[in-house]
Amino acid sequence: MQAETSILPVGNRTKQPLADDQQATLVSLRELKGIIEYEPSEFTFTAYAGTTISEVNQVLHQRQQYLPFDPMLVDAGATVGGSVAAGLSGSGRFRYGGIRDFVLGVKFLSGTGEVINSGGKVVKNAAGFDIPKLLTGSMGRLGVMVEMTFKVFPMPGCNQTLAVACDSLETAMQRMSLAASSSWELDAIDYRPASKTIFLRLAGPEQVNQILFQKISKTWGSDVTELSDGEAIWRAVNELAWTQPSRSLAVKVPVHRSLMGEIVDFASQRNGVDLHFSTAGAVAWLLCESQDDVDHLDQVLLGKQAAGLVVRGAPERPHIGSWPRTEISLAVKQAMDPVSKFPRLFHT
Amino acid sequence: MVTSLEGLASIFPPSRFVRDAANQAAFESDGLTAFRAKPRAVVIPETAGEVIAAVRWCHENSVPFVARGSGTSLSGGSLPVADGIVIALNRMNRIIEIDPDERIAVVEPGVVNQHVTDAAAKYGLYYAPDPSSQSVCTIGGNVAFNSGGAHCLKYGMTSNHVIGCKAVLATGEVVSMGGRSVESVGPDYTGLFCGSEGLFGIGLEITLRLLPKPEKFHTVLVGYKSLQAAGDAVSAVIDSGLLPGALEIMDALAIEAAEAAVACGYPPEAAAVLIVELEGPAEKIEHERKQLDAVLATTGHFAERIAVDEADRLSIWRGRKSAFSAVGRLSPDFLVQDGVVPRKRLGEALVRIEQLSRESGIRVANVFHAGDGNLHPLIMFDGKQDGALEKAEALAAKLLRLCIEMGGSITGEHGVGVEKRDFLPEMFDATTMAMMERLRLAFDPGLVANPGKMFPGTEAPTLTQSGLHPLEKAGVISRE
Repeated sequence: MQAETSILPVGNRTKQPLADDQQATLVSLRELKGIIEYEPSEFTFTAYAGTTISEVNQVLHQRQQYLPFDPMLVDAGATVGGSVAAGLSGSGRFRYGGIRDFVLGVKFLSGTGEVINSGGKVVKNAAGFDIPKLLTGSMGRLGVMVEMTFKVFPMPGCNQTLAVACDSLETAMQRMSLAASSSWELDAIDYRPASKTIFLRLAGPEQVNQILFQKISKTWGSDVTELSDGEAIWRAVNELAWTQPSRSLAVKVPVHRSLMGEIVDFASQRNGVDLHFSTAGAVAWLLCESQDDVDHLDQVLLGKQAAGLVVRGAPERPHIGSWPRTEISLAVKQAMDPVSKFPRLFHT
Repeated sequence: MVTSLEGLASIFPPSRFVRDAANQAAFESDGLTAFRAKPRAVVIPETAGEVIAAVRWCHENSVPFVARGSGTSLSGGSLPVADGIVIALNRMNRIIEIDPDERIAVVEPGVVNQHVTDAAAKYGLYYAPDPSSQSVCTIGGNVAFNSGGAHCLKYGMTSNHVIGCKAVLATGEVVSMGGRSVESVGPDYTGLFCGSEGLFGIGLEITLRLLPKPEKFHTVLVGYKSLQAAGDAVSAVIDSGLLPGALEIMDALAIEAAEAAVACGYPPEAAAVLIVELEGPAEKIEHERKQLDAVLATTGHFAERIAVDEADRLSIWRGRKSAFSAVGRLSPDFLVQDGVVPRKRLGEALVRIEQLSRESGIRVANVFHAGDGNLHPLIMFDGKQDGALEKAEALAAKLLRLCIEMGGSITGEHGVGVEKRDFLPEMFDATTMAMMERLRLAFDPGLVANPGKMFPGTEAPTLTQSGLHPLEKAGVISRE
């Protein structure tokens, strides 16, 4: 049962499908913004939930620090609160972990309006339950996040992007696996089947990147080329804008290798679908033109017991595929939101 | 009325249902040796089905249980509940799968931490979290306590490396959280499960992320004439933009102990040593070591030793990793604390610790993960002297309060357990505590899973005079 006056906290609604619920009143936190505390020497900052990632990036970059997981939809206006609530990490997730690994503490309001201070403000903390991780991906359905503390890292000197041509999915999977297990310490490994290309990002001092580039070239010969517009490629991925704007529905599907072939087949059979794998093949991003595309993807995922999340566009529902409804997920929701002040966790 | 154990006994063959005092003795305590409690029975499952059946029996009969691996918890996390059941998971020690292409390992809870790395080594991969007890501690315990180690600054704690977990919850419900992808959608239940200190249930199959083994390490040991100078050096390294894999400090007392124990060859007369370790591709390390040399040159050190090969690197680490059990040579007993302070307040915290040590007349050695502000003061006492343990505990309490006051945490990696349960409400306000208790009840409405840990409570274990953990005496494990 949802309370009559249920509410859904939202930020700048860049993940619009998650920031909408017909029965709920939307409560916008976009004006609750600003960096409260930034301690470069501690590798931490604390900001209000409505602070945009682009403001955070600007401040961090002045001190040569950054959020290494490549926050998504930054240009679109994503906030720190919305990014945690959606649980989205971009290509940089590969190297040091995702947004879940960088959120240290969250102050939030429970369904009964109590102020809860979860986690901590230091980079290492094992006291109490890790509620900040539970809130990651909670889509505003477990509490209203108002303030959060993140861990940050020093920025690497330079980025360099390489393209590796791969004529088949098999070759691409084999090469991604080799790259991910190598000692090259790659910063990102993405793959776009339609362009038969793996994108690799090196992050470090320029001359070191050059040496690693030579090493990688030795491994795969002329299939490896250096790209001059590397930054634009990563930005397009993280903004979910690597293809024409008409493909407005964006779906995130966590995958493993046995599912990759299925997803590639699906995308190649549908004219309106563009596919990009990030995090060495662990996440499939699908940009779709129509609800029909999403419905078909839903069927593919259901058959594989996999879950997908529509994060952009106006879908009929954001949760597609198989979302297991367990006793414990209901009990956790009840514990966090005893009066059902927030919408259900997912509708399938 | 005391519940009959007949139903539980019927799940296990007699050899794996232990009720005799002699065989139970090994389970009465863990790495926090100051506490002891006698369980009613110890069961030793060999399959997930047996663990599930045992947990369901406990839930249905309202009998408390404690899951236990190698019993190395430093916070008393695996201390039995008096008259409860211990579910010993050491025989659940199969590495179910190593997938080098996906870079994951799927393991049972009783698998020893180091064995994951050993099994992954042939693929050039390793499991990053490295608590000092890694040669014996198990993944199930690492997950329950979100264990740390010397490399958390760069790689994070255990939870950053756990991507999926099939578990039996305290209610008997079997759930699969996360999966084989490092990413997921929906609330991160796997992340919540990590560090829940056994209060939610028991992990049966844990999926771990593996990383490529760094091509090169550059390990430097630097000697300072004052602790303050070593602390300042840490700030200088951090401010330079380097991200070392490890940044560790030991003070004079800890050095003395380590020297006596393993002759690690640390610079004599050092008031503190700093260990800095860089890791990555050889070319990058070549570049970063110059940067590190330049930074260290400004920090006023009087001695420097650079590891020339892997054996030399391990010998530098030997001193650090043995420091805790080595302190056992200086004192018959000690308590180890695990508080965290903001890095910039490390120096201040150390001065206060020294002051409190002097005032109480109790010797304190310091070893810490300086990179992330994680202190490990070793509070020395002689358990045979009346009131010595209580005095040591009183000092430990002051140190924990100091960490809270400075905006840090009461535990960086050992967990709350029995040891610090009274301090959790000092770190978190009443509404936050109430929320955590509601979450606990969601997983365990009958309060049968590891009761008496994390939350202040009435179930008091027996305090005893102590000594080193038997494995520690044998030099197998060390506290970190």
